[in-house]
Amino acid sequence: MTEPTYNIPGVPVREAILEAHRSTWRRISQPGGWFDGQTRVAIAAESRNAPSCTLCAERKAALSPYSIAGTHDSLGSLPEEIVEVVHRIITDPARLREQWYEGILAGGMADTEYVEIVGVVCSTVAVDTFADTMGVPRPALPTPESGEPSRRRPSGVKPGHAWVPWIAPEDASGPEADLYDGGTSNIRRALMLVPDEQRGFFELVYAQYLSGSEITDFGTDCRAITRAQIELIAGRVSALNQCVY
Amino acid sequence: MLRASIEHTGANYNLDGVIGDGDGGIPHGGLLIEFAEAAIVGDDARLSAAREQVLKTLGPESLVDAAGIVATFNAIDRVADATGTPIDEERLEPTAEMREHLGIDRFPSAAAG
Repeated sequence: MTEPTYNIPGVPVREAILEAHRSTWRRISQPGGWFDGQTRVAIAAESRNAPSCTLCAERKAALSPYSIAGTHDSLGSLPEEIVEVVHRIITDPARLREQWYEGILAGGMADTEYVEIVGVVCSTVAVDTFADTMGVPRPALPTPESGEPSRRRPSGVKPGHAWVPWIAPEDASGPEADLYDGGTSNIRRALMLVPDEQRGFFELVYAQYLSGSEITDFGTDCRAITRAQIELIAGRVSALNQCVY
Repeated sequence: MLRASIEHTGANYNLDGVIGDGDGGIPHGGLLIEFAEAAIVGDDARLSAAREQVLKTLGPESLVDAAGIVATFNAIDRVADATGTPIDEERLEPTAEMREHLGIDRFPSAAAG
């Protein structure tokens, strides 16, 4: 399988980041909770294709994206409802609405499938944004591995404060007992409906940002830039993305 | 988190750099803001110049760490927006004044429910 590697003269990329990117590519290539490897890699590919979609550009320019109907410019390997989710998360995430999410589910997509798509798309974004920001080519997408998805809905899932259901701390037991290792923030709960997506995404977060224990440790500088510099960058990125969280 | 970091260090930083034109009073804040902004808006020429400047001023390890933060939050923001994940309850009250001051409550995603 093709694994991400970055050869930048004079700029060594930390091993933890490299390993997290390689692990992410392996995860995307393998069968997940609800999609096979081929579909997961196709979701990653569609994530890369979304910025060139004419419909998404028209919606982005519109006062309301919900006023513009049409068909996405897709790579053609995924059903239109998956393409809609992927493209909207990539091109206009701040204007997603609960009603839109409910409409996606009413169209036949399971909440588990939706969360898995979010996990694959956002993991791809994390790897691709790193490469783009460093000025190096994005790694080639992995070759899909064969096999069937586990189709296991974790126990203890129930509605929380987000659109998607999650597992409350008191319900995280058995195979899901580790999901709160490192903290209990809401963002950590967002992908719990598909536990391996949550674990994999936070492996990326720990490598590229800070680990769970480091996040709440303001007294130790864990990176080459200071904590204030880290949070300034984080805050500015979220402001540009118009993300309240 | 920036607010918490400021409170911890007791430094004379401010939060306006997150939204406005300032650098937050944070060392090299203006350079890092330019780097992050060029990356998110996707301006290749601007990003290339900012990258060179970060490398020259702060060094290769800092460049990698800064790129990692940009990449992480470009992804985390999407997880939060796509799942309708709200701000943690215990952070609502302590950040209310800051969110109002910076206009964060007027972001489109604040009305996402």
